[in-house]
Amino acid sequence: MKQKREWILLIIALIPILIAGCKNRTSEDRCDYDGFHVQPLYAVYFSLQDGSEKKYCSLVCASMSFSALKKQIREVRVVDEPSGNKINALGAFFVESEVVTVPHVKNRIHVFAKKEDALKHIQTFKGNWVENPFR
Amino acid sequence: MILNALSITLIFIGFLSALLALWGGISSFILYKKWGRPFKPEEKTSLEDHSYLVLLIMAIVLIIRLINWPLFYVTLQSFIPDIEGAMCIFGVTQVKVGLTRFLEFLKPINFFLIGGWFILHVLDRATKTSPLMKRKLLLLSFISLLVLIDSMGDILLMIGIVPDSLVSCCTTVTDISSRPTRTTPESVFGPDYAQSLRILFFISHLALIGFIGANLKFKIFRRPILGFLFLLSILNAVLFILSQIEVFAPAMMRLPFHHCLYCLWQYVPVSIVLYLLFILGTFSVGWGFTTDLFGRQGEGIHLLPVFLKKIYLFALFFLSASLMMLLIHGLVS
Repeated sequence: MKQKREWILLIIALIPILIAGCKNRTSEDRCDYDGFHVQPLYAVYFSLQDGSEKKYCSLVCASMSFSALKKQIREVRVVDEPSGNKINALGAFFVESEVVTVPHVKNRIHVFAKKEDALKHIQTFKGNWVENPFR
Repeated sequence: MILNALSITLIFIGFLSALLALWGGISSFILYKKWGRPFKPEEKTSLEDHSYLVLLIMAIVLIIRLINWPLFYVTLQSFIPDIEGAMCIFGVTQVKVGLTRFLEFLKPINFFLIGGWFILHVLDRATKTSPLMKRKLLLLSFISLLVLIDSMGDILLMIGIVPDSLVSCCTTVTDISSRPTRTTPESVFGPDYAQSLRILFFISHLALIGFIGANLKFKIFRRPILGFLFLLSILNAVLFILSQIEVFAPAMMRLPFHHCLYCLWQYVPVSIVLYLLFILGTFSVGWGFTTDLFGRQGEGIHLLPVFLKKIYLFALFFLSASLMMLLIHGLVS
């Protein structure tokens, strides 16, 4: 009887520890698709209709989420690689080249605000134009 | 080759267990062939002494191999910073895909067989005449062969994984819409397959717990029933893996589109305990069946009900605990 009570007490004591352990540590700079650390230079931001924002570590993760969230998205912002400024994806130039930016998804698509920067990248790294993946 | 404390440990364990498994496997097979033949008393004593030495050394090797399974994943986890493009263990497995997949398949089989063998060993030790010795030796020689393959695989993998390898990680494989874990249940249950998987898993898990409980209450340790429980536990394990990938892991990670179990262990470390409990619970059901299958001989028959009761109590506890954890997680999420 006493042994049974000890077991019950042990289980009761374990529950708060389990609950604490179940709360996963969410960090500010984590990708909303795969949880990877987001490098600001290659990040993609979705502004949703409800005012919230989703952050992605790469164009690959963002484009994989895009189809599921399409109806909720108000604006897509990408980062201009040469300056690091956030720009609207509708006005950006997208180039695919040999250079990998985010290795874990092998992202080769680069974002530029200016056409001359994009052309320069195309010439230097054997790139080619690609369409905006967020249309 | 990536050198760190864990990889060195794994290689060391690999060499040691490979050598001892080779010796132990051959010795146990020779002993199996000799066991039961008519011998002179002094020859019989020598045979028994030799067999106890083999069993003692192999028991230590097998304990090390039990620890090897989690150690293998901890070692792979430690390689992540050295592999370009790896964000979790999945990325590391992509360096030597074939060998890693083979080892990932072999290790749980070894764990199950070793666990089953140990229970048989303990059951045999509890008897006075060792009626299970011959079976134990034959099983040991087979397990030694698998341990040898596993150990060699570990060494080859540790040598084969070179630093700065470029890989792509789980996102590009586990999250694509044509992944088999999605298409297979979707073809059966339709577009709302996730909900169906969740319900089906809870039904099978509760049914398994219920059947084990009923078995313990009414003490019906008949082989067909134990075999049925074993099959149900396999089905439950398949449903567990599918539902984890498709339903529970994304919810626990709070990443609704990400389905990687290695990432789950990384982002929600407490899930490792859940997996451990589930594995031990499922394997206990299997161990109950194998103990009945191999232990029903001589004096073993009389001790078997007590052993089976303990094994199924363990199974009941581990499976219930894993379910509790899953439910707590669901409530917290």
